[in-house]
Amino acid sequence: MSSTSQKHRDFVAEPMGEKPVGTLAGIGDVLGKKLADKGFDKAYVVLGQFLVLKKDEELFREWLKDTCGANAKQSRDCSGCLREWCDAFL
Amino acid sequence: MKSVPLPLPSDWRLWPGGGASRVTDGSRPQSSAHASVPAGTRERRGAARRGAWVGNAAAAGQRNMAAAAQLTDEELFSELRRFGLSPGPVTESTRPVYLKKLKKLREDERAGARGSAKKTRNSNNNNTGAGAAPGEGGGRAAPGMGARLASPDQTYLPGGAAGGSRSRAAPPAGGGKVLLGFSSDESDVEASPRSQAGAGGGSSSRRERASPPVRGLRPAASHGACSERSSFPPEAGRRKPSAWWGAVARRPTATAGAQTQGMREPGEGEEEEDEEERQWKNRTVNGNRHPSFGGRAEYSDSEEEEGERAKQQVLKEETAPRQHRGRRSLSKSPAPFTASKCAAAGAGMMETGQQRAGGGGGAGVIAMNDRAEAAAAGSLDRGRNQEEEAVMRRRGDCENLDTSPSIPRYRSTSSKNSPPLLVLPQPTDMDSSKSSDPLGTVRKAANNHVLSGAAGGFSIEPRIYSATNSLPLGAVTPSSLRINHSNHTGSNHTYLKSTYKQKLSEPEEELLQQFKREEVSTTGGFSAHYLSMFLLTAACLFFLILGLMYVRMRGSGVAEHGEVNIKNPFSEQLEEIKANEKSLMMNSLYKLHDRLAQVAGDHDCGNSIQRNLSVQETAAYLKSLGPEYEKVLNTALQWIMSRGEDVGIKCIGSDPSEELNNVTDVKYLESTRPQMSFRCRFRRAFITVTHRLSILLLGIGMVWGVLHYMKYRWTKEEEETRQMYDMVVKIIDVLRSHNEACQENKDLQPYIPIPHVCDSLIPPQDRKKMKKVWNRAVDFLAANESRVRTETRRIGGADSLVWRWIQPSAACDKILVIPSKVWQGQAFHLDRRNSPPNSLTPCLKIRNMFDPVMEIGDHWHLAIQEAILEKCSDNDGIVHIAVDKNSREGCVYVKCLSPEYAGKAFKALHGSWFDGKLVTVKYLRLDRYHHRFPQALTCNTPLKPSNKHMNSMSHLRLRTGTTNSQGSS
Repeated sequence: MSSTSQKHRDFVAEPMGEKPVGTLAGIGDVLGKKLADKGFDKAYVVLGQFLVLKKDEELFREWLKDTCGANAKQSRDCSGCLREWCDAFL
Repeated sequence: MKSVPLPLPSDWRLWPGGGASRVTDGSRPQSSAHASVPAGTRERRGAARRGAWVGNAAAAGQRNMAAAAQLTDEELFSELRRFGLSPGPVTESTRPVYLKKLKKLREDERAGARGSAKKTRNSNNNNTGAGAAPGEGGGRAAPGMGARLASPDQTYLPGGAAGGSRSRAAPPAGGGKVLLGFSSDESDVEASPRSQAGAGGGSSSRRERASPPVRGLRPAASHGACSERSSFPPEAGRRKPSAWWGAVARRPTATAGAQTQGMREPGEGEEEEDEEERQWKNRTVNGNRHPSFGGRAEYSDSEEEEGERAKQQVLKEETAPRQHRGRRSLSKSPAPFTASKCAAAGAGMMETGQQRAGGGGGAGVIAMNDRAEAAAAGSLDRGRNQEEEAVMRRRGDCENLDTSPSIPRYRSTSSKNSPPLLVLPQPTDMDSSKSSDPLGTVRKAANNHVLSGAAGGFSIEPRIYSATNSLPLGAVTPSSLRINHSNHTGSNHTYLKSTYKQKLSEPEEELLQQFKREEVSTTGGFSAHYLSMFLLTAACLFFLILGLMYVRMRGSGVAEHGEVNIKNPFSEQLEEIKANEKSLMMNSLYKLHDRLAQVAGDHDCGNSIQRNLSVQETAAYLKSLGPEYEKVLNTALQWIMSRGEDVGIKCIGSDPSEELNNVTDVKYLESTRPQMSFRCRFRRAFITVTHRLSILLLGIGMVWGVLHYMKYRWTKEEEETRQMYDMVVKIIDVLRSHNEACQENKDLQPYIPIPHVCDSLIPPQDRKKMKKVWNRAVDFLAANESRVRTETRRIGGADSLVWRWIQPSAACDKILVIPSKVWQGQAFHLDRRNSPPNSLTPCLKIRNMFDPVMEIGDHWHLAIQEAILEKCSDNDGIVHIAVDKNSREGCVYVKCLSPEYAGKAFKALHGSWFDGKLVTVKYLRLDRYHHRFPQALTCNTPLKPSNKHMNSMSHLRLRTGTTNSQGSS
């Protein structure tokens, strides 16, 4: 697997606190806006969804695709970033 | 309960002509209302689905699919649990995700369960249809069919082309989206089975809707479909037992259906009766298709094209009522669909109708058949004739079938459908065979291109063979043909006619060839599987034979050779010896040779002491054989001696080394080619071989031992040299630090007695062992170290050798002297910002511990480990350390007993300077660690530094200016 992005490393490096959803790896401005419009304005809300899906990356990616139209890479990045964050901080 | 509609493709509900024909099988039953099927699309979908489902008796599964969207949260949860998934809470936001997952799981399950059935279907479709083979659904089959038609029917091209066009063009016209519909339908069905159907009623209504139009449209094609339905009920009932049958029957029927429109009338009569049955069947077995197919089959029976239209009309009428009545039954619905399609086609062309019907049937086969029929009817007289004949037969078969039990029927039906093909034979496989047969027949009639279709079927569905029921379809033509030949020779063959046979023969051959190819491939795989075993066996045999040959050569083989030798001399001497003596001497020599060989053999085998016979004994022996032999003895001996070459008998005098010139000197006769029993020979051979082998092994062992000893010596030498250099470095360090200490403290003597240095550097237990190293180091220092001067000083009244450090201490020198592999302090303080608050895993990855390019020797990684252990000396939870000697980043992996220990180690190591590098640490997942270092799984003994000197930490003390503890101790 290729190395992770800077965004990924930044996000995984520390507790997410009140970070906006756009700080998630794979979530850019467009997807971030879409998510925010649906109520997922903070990264921890998305994390909540991730956790509610029992950290199942497949399901989470499916959900992300449905919710904001993320493509495969975006959803993979996002789920990977959340998973690693969970591994580190949960 | 929340029913969140799944995101469905927008195309879904918008089929123009067909309306939304997404009704799933499950929903069909509910749709008792009379729905007029608008276009073939719906039918196709239905058919496709049915086709897919047919194999499965799991109607429940279908229903589930369809109803997935309507599941309550609890049901959804339990459903997912049923699939072995442990879903989280089903909320508004997660529900769609779980619905999709459920759908996927169901599809997977279905695929698995269906596996065989689907395959069969496909195969059937392919076979019958156009060998469109791969075609999952009717959709594919349909296109395939079209293609086939076009290609095969050169003469029929009009029809075929039309067919082909239909498949693509027809959609827009009648079904509007036949092709698209198929693919989309399938996907939709799978994707959102029920949500759309969900409406259940809606779906049914759709169908119903479709049906009315169908009625209106019904021209000929619709009739055909209708009639099929009606007629089939009985058959369907019979067929019910096996879903495939239905499918198979459909195919045949489909083919027949196109041809036999006239049959419908009879079918109708039956239909009413059978409707109830059908419904039953459908409900129970998902048999909708079956019935419909059956109907088709019946139609096929009545396939006569002439009466088709009239019959069709009648049928239409009939079908309409039926639809109204029975539509509830799934079986009916398919029929309507087909009918509707037919109707649409009717509007346009017969072919279109057929295609639609095929789509409705879900079996591309049907469509193909229809097309073929249509093509035949339209353009080809011969095809018709053939078909008619076939039809006639079919009819007869059908009648027979009705009377006969289900299996017989199948056969009969199959035979009807594919009278020429002979498919009928196998009861279970019959369906497939039937389907294939019809296709084959049709194709044959049209062209001989059947093969392609069959081939496609074969290639695609080899599995089918393995599968039980479904297999027949896949295997279809080939298997069925074979089977027919072998098993059903009697009954089936009777059906077949010469013409059919001829037609069949070609395709059959091709099929067989293909089948053969498959076999070859499988055997190839098999042999490959056992290749290694085979090679081993062959090697063993080779050596066994070699050994036997060896044994034989040392025994009897030589004897034979000797005999030849004996003969030759005789032949040369023949002239010189009298004729009567010739044979006598020859015989005597032969016997003597054998006797001597035996004696020698006994001796060699240890059975007797004597290896030779004295002349007297020889004479006695010859005499015992016959008095005349004795006289020849002297002549024979003379001859032997005169020969001068080895004839197998050697004459020996009293002195073995003496050359014999006179016959009278001969004391003993000895065989040069001892004859031994096989056991004896084998034993000797074994002993010899063992002997030589042992010598060989001994030699190899000695060489190996020498090499190992040399290697050991080398490594030991290397080790000693390394230790010597280490010692030199230590000595220099001690001297230098002592010199520094002397400068600060003038009371100290500026020299150190050599024994003191030795004793301070080498622990007592090692002194003896290190004696050699120490001496070498001292010699080295004396020879190569200019900064150290050896002097003799009187200390405590005794003269002793001392070392004096004569180089003035320089600041720059200190840097050079900095020992490697030492900790040099902390780069920054750890706090919450640069370290995780909690220890997360028991495993750590430490980077920048070393630079592999700079490391020399074989054991430098031990120094790294030691350094880590010393740095973490207060941490007794480190159980495993692995130095990745090849990593450019200088990675070291550490496993601790628990995350707490790992946290401590993290704090101790992270951000430290080591050997001029800044060490960074991060946590590693335990599973990954174990994946990389499986041996770490069992490590749970805390590691300790190997000594108390803390060499890697000592530098800190040295630099702080304190006296070298070791030196001063």
